[in-house]
Amino acid sequence: MIFFAAQVLPGDVARRILGPFADQASVDALSRRLGTDRSLFAQYWDWISSFVTGDLGESIRNRPVSDVLGNAIVASGKLALLAFLIVVPLAIVGGVVAAMNEGSFRDRLISVGGLSATAIPEFVWAVFFILIFALGLGLFPTTAQPPGGAGIFTQLEYLLLPALCLVCVLFGYIARMARAGTIEALEADYTRTAILKGMPRRTVIGRHVLRNSLLPTIAVVATQAGYLIGGLVIIEVIFNYQGLGQALFRAATGKDIPVLQSGVLLIGIVYLVATLIADMLYSVLNPRVRLGAAE
Amino acid sequence: MKRQVDAVRAQRSELENHIIDEYRAGYIGRREFMRRGAVVGMSLPLVGFLASACGTAEEASDSSEGAEANKAEVKKGGVVRSGLQLPGSDLDPIKVNNQGALGTLGQSGEYLIFSDSELKPVPRLAESWKPNRDGSQWTFKIRQGVNFQNGKPMTAEDVAATFNLHADPDNGSNALSAFTGVLSKGGAQAVDESTVVFELDAPNGNFPFSTSSDNYNLIILPKGFDTTTWPKNFQGTGPWKLEKYTPNVGVTYTQNPDYWDKTRQPLPDRNEIKYYEQEEAAILGIQGGEIDLLAQFSAVNGKPLLTDPNVNVIELRAAQHRQLHMRTDKEPFNDKRVRQAVALLINRDNIVKGLIEEKADYGNDSPFAPVYPTTDKSVPQRKQDVEKAKALLAEAGKENLDVELRTWRVFEVPQYAALVQNDLKAAGINVKLNVTDAASYYGDAVYGKSPWLDSTFGITEYGHRGVPNVYLGAPLRSEGTWNSAHFKNKEYDKLASEYVAAVDLQTQRTAAKKLQEMLLDEVPIIFSYFYFYLSATTPTLAGVNVSAMGQVDISQAGQKA
Repeated sequence: MIFFAAQVLPGDVARRILGPFADQASVDALSRRLGTDRSLFAQYWDWISSFVTGDLGESIRNRPVSDVLGNAIVASGKLALLAFLIVVPLAIVGGVVAAMNEGSFRDRLISVGGLSATAIPEFVWAVFFILIFALGLGLFPTTAQPPGGAGIFTQLEYLLLPALCLVCVLFGYIARMARAGTIEALEADYTRTAILKGMPRRTVIGRHVLRNSLLPTIAVVATQAGYLIGGLVIIEVIFNYQGLGQALFRAATGKDIPVLQSGVLLIGIVYLVATLIADMLYSVLNPRVRLGAAE
Repeated sequence: MKRQVDAVRAQRSELENHIIDEYRAGYIGRREFMRRGAVVGMSLPLVGFLASACGTAEEASDSSEGAEANKAEVKKGGVVRSGLQLPGSDLDPIKVNNQGALGTLGQSGEYLIFSDSELKPVPRLAESWKPNRDGSQWTFKIRQGVNFQNGKPMTAEDVAATFNLHADPDNGSNALSAFTGVLSKGGAQAVDESTVVFELDAPNGNFPFSTSSDNYNLIILPKGFDTTTWPKNFQGTGPWKLEKYTPNVGVTYTQNPDYWDKTRQPLPDRNEIKYYEQEEAAILGIQGGEIDLLAQFSAVNGKPLLTDPNVNVIELRAAQHRQLHMRTDKEPFNDKRVRQAVALLINRDNIVKGLIEEKADYGNDSPFAPVYPTTDKSVPQRKQDVEKAKALLAEAGKENLDVELRTWRVFEVPQYAALVQNDLKAAGINVKLNVTDAASYYGDAVYGKSPWLDSTFGITEYGHRGVPNVYLGAPLRSEGTWNSAHFKNKEYDKLASEYVAAVDLQTQRTAAKKLQEMLLDEVPIIFSYFYFYLSATTPTLAGVNVSAMGQVDISQAGQKA
């Protein structure tokens, strides 16, 4: 499907590579070399037959697809991981604190503040952070691409601003889920029972409330994984970061079908894995869905 | 002195003597004499000697301000970090087609000639060159004792092979558009170890520019080199040796210890290139201190840099421009008076002063930019004249017109389109803008399948060239492949051929004047401005050498001492 959808994109592949001002003879020659002058079905057959044997093929830019996507996914993974490591604990703690102080100033601050932050698009955050922290205070670099061979701390320094943009966008969403779940769990019978039987508050929260309240939160977090890996085109563009989003965007505009196909597949796999992990966490937290737990 | 000059003259060719005479008679100034002399292959010391022997002291110190400001004592060592546009293609010398890619080619690779910021051909891998009588055959002496980075010596054979590789239509080189009608496959021949003879398809007085860095795909490569492997080794003879290349991210280089040019041994220890997909990110990069040099930025997006005290802007006058074409074979523009009216309605002051922040020269509806020495400046500049335009439209019986203007989102072009829309309203021409992405505008880039070539009214962006030959060909000739205006005029074709063939400046200027006047009258294309090439450096960096084509030479750069 991706293959045929990509054919709808305007323009000729060789023309796209050489640019509009290239001689037509150049374009024809390159088309022959790339094989894009053959019929659609011949090209499709080529792709599908090598795909089933595990060969992702070559990008139309002479590089193996695995090479193009490999670097991009590592880059995307780093950014996504950092954003996750910051936002998940922060949002859960925020949500729980808000729930436990329902209706208070603290709750309002977290709920309204979080929602407002989510409502602001990531590129606005990006511009805002770059202006203040990179240009104004000079604390961070303006882009996210660390120099080659940089150590982990330098890489962190480069990735922090884009990660913060993602944190701003995701915080409200996750915190809201955590808050709703916690309020529901706090009002549940088992919580009242636990409190009434004289359990310390800390244990009640940790063992009974959180376990139940986090279930919907985990589902939400898992669905964000695909977005974080492949959907950050704008953030990647602003911070000049070569992640999967830009690689796919470039492949789509350049009609680099081998890269596009494998890339979309890859994001599909990330979604699957994220959902699988979420399901496994679910079973850890919720004994009812554990396999064989019924016996 | 006179006797010495005569002694020199006796040994020079007819063509060289012609240029010497032009200079003596005062037809050309000192600077232009130096440039013309270099084009036809006179050596620098010789031109310098003749210039002072025959000339006057006028315009002795006349050179680009930015380039001047950049010359200062620099400290050796350190690293210079440059920001380049993300290469639009893989780094295969055959395919390279944008600033980032060509700027990268020119670090480890070298050309026969470097076309410098004053449009002067500077010998690099070619030691000297000279044309035959009519400019249909050019003989190049190739520098000896130069090694490729793989250790093999560079010979005339390699040079001829490189040219024939790009001139072969089967290889699909991006340079073909510059070679069509100029050089065919097999046209370059190595006659001995150090001599290459180019047999051209037609006489060409400016052929050295086709072998120079202006024709940026043409870095000299070893004979039989597989260009698709270039990104693995960055093969060439240049001052910089590849350390690491990360596609889409950047390149790092170390000094090439065997570099041949003793006067241009690299001063920095390392050379780092960082690619930026978006201009905005690159501009922030130089403001935030991530890079020391930004190879190119536009006046429209780069306004903050023009006023930033922490950034030094290098400004080169250039021939890059936008062509506003009108289809001469279609309603309503098939009437010359309508085309003239449109050209008269455009407020060029608004564009140059407002939109481009005065970083542009006025255009006079021909490709002869003021920066070209052959441009005849006596041709009167077209200015806005709404009344005259209205009269022309009334005369043509074409009032209350509706036209669609097509273009794409790049730099200031959408704003330019909006200004045109606004200016044309004054005479009741209703312009509907249709601004898309590049792919939709260029389509398949062949007639019948490309809004660029098929639209009635459209704006297309053209990069800098050291000589106007390309602009005079493909977009304007009857059989031209980029002829959006569908301009077909036998008289024009003849004049353009005359101009291209002319080897001496007088003939070129005569042809240029006729061409300028004809295009000003016919107006197939509106050339309203030629914008400057802008680069930026940190204030402490000096010794940077950029060309308006997008070449970046940092071999002599460093922190100010």
